[in-house]
Amino acid sequence: MTTGPVVWDPSTLPTDDNVNPYAFSVALNGRWFLQKGKMVAYYGNITFHPIGYGPLDSLISTSFHSPTHVGDWVVAEGQGHMILADRAYDVNSYDLEQGNLTVRAGNLLAFAPTLALKQSIIPGFLTLIGSGKFVAASNGPVHFVEPPIRVDPQALVGWADCPSPCHHYDHAYMRGVLGGVRRLTGIGGASGEEHQYEFVGAGQVLLQSTEVLMNELVAVEPGHTVPAQSAQANLGALGRQLGF
Amino acid sequence: MFTQINSKMVEAPVIPGQRLFSQRGAMLAYRGQVTFTPNIMGGQGGIGSMLGRRIANEDTPLMTVEGSGSAMFGHGGHHTHVIQLTGDTLYVEADRLLVFEGSLQQSTMFMGSQGGLRGIIRGQATGQGLFTTTLTGHGSAAVLAHGGVFEIPITPDRPIHVDPQAYVAHRGEVRSKVSTAIGWREAVGRGSGEAFQLELTGNGTVFVQASEEKL
Repeated sequence: MTTGPVVWDPSTLPTDDNVNPYAFSVALNGRWFLQKGKMVAYYGNITFHPIGYGPLDSLISTSFHSPTHVGDWVVAEGQGHMILADRAYDVNSYDLEQGNLTVRAGNLLAFAPTLALKQSIIPGFLTLIGSGKFVAASNGPVHFVEPPIRVDPQALVGWADCPSPCHHYDHAYMRGVLGGVRRLTGIGGASGEEHQYEFVGAGQVLLQSTEVLMNELVAVEPGHTVPAQSAQANLGALGRQLGF
Repeated sequence: MFTQINSKMVEAPVIPGQRLFSQRGAMLAYRGQVTFTPNIMGGQGGIGSMLGRRIANEDTPLMTVEGSGSAMFGHGGHHTHVIQLTGDTLYVEADRLLVFEGSLQQSTMFMGSQGGLRGIIRGQATGQGLFTTTLTGHGSAAVLAHGGVFEIPITPDRPIHVDPQAYVAHRGEVRSKVSTAIGWREAVGRGSGEAFQLELTGNGTVFVQASEEKL
């Protein structure tokens, strides 16, 4: 049996590994991309710059290609340990090797600049291309499945290597006498399962338990280096509210 | 036979000719040809059963899952717990039922019939209402809980007290009543916050969640 909480200091904090299922420690030496509000603590000498910060221009031009999420992201620069966490979700790191993985924008916490971030054609999702490590959160442990599969939009964390999904609509329940009554009167209601994302082809699909639509907490503005951004102007937050 | 994929997901096989009932909107993913039909009756039985559930406020929207393949379920990011019934009865609040096999007989029970007036007081005091849903037969059911679930056995010589908010479900030959510990402290607003407890006696198991948050 353990006795009491574990005490961490800069020499014992894990290097690019989980502190516990809900927190991840990045050993920073250089630059990492970080989503706003996902850093809960850090040791060392780290500064946080907005994406528009001048000296970062060459880095941005190679690694960040998502105009609508510019307001959600900052670059952490320096040396030290950075602890990441998100809504008490399970946090995991993933290594890509010359690969591609698409992940729900709100669930991506941070990524190494060796990866390139691109906006997916599916709204609310971001694609990472290249080699390197990234950190993502999920409600409950991530479950990997292989296509063919149909997934509730709320349960989708992301997908790797397989073609982008398409929409699948289930209209079977609208047929027949009962279906007609249901359509005309609304009596009987909807099952909530009329719409899924359908995956086919070879690859991996990442599932979570549902994406709880908690009230979006306004992140603490990290000092005056970051211009204030209203929640409405923030498409990433909007996407999360819409459940994408 | 349901499989627990992880703490928050359950996978259920969908076999032709065998129906599943699940909470609406609780499907996470599925393989094969599976249809989800909103269940106007809110479960098994005819019009009478439906009216009974409406009156008893145990009519959580359900859907019927049919076809062939497999489906994964989870809801609201809550923990899930699979319970295998072998001819005995599970007592559970309707809104905690995630998914159950059609081979289980679903009905609504008046809690007042267990312990008379005390049973009614129990329902009112604990916020569980006067009615509860029962599942009887052979098959699997998955329940939702806030925080992980643990099982505590109930034996005749060892009754157990459970915080009503942490109570999830129970099975077996179990009598439940509310035990109160109200004294002058509660009257002046300096209570311990543990004035009401659910006292379970008999032979069976109680499922308790690691949280005092009701679903």
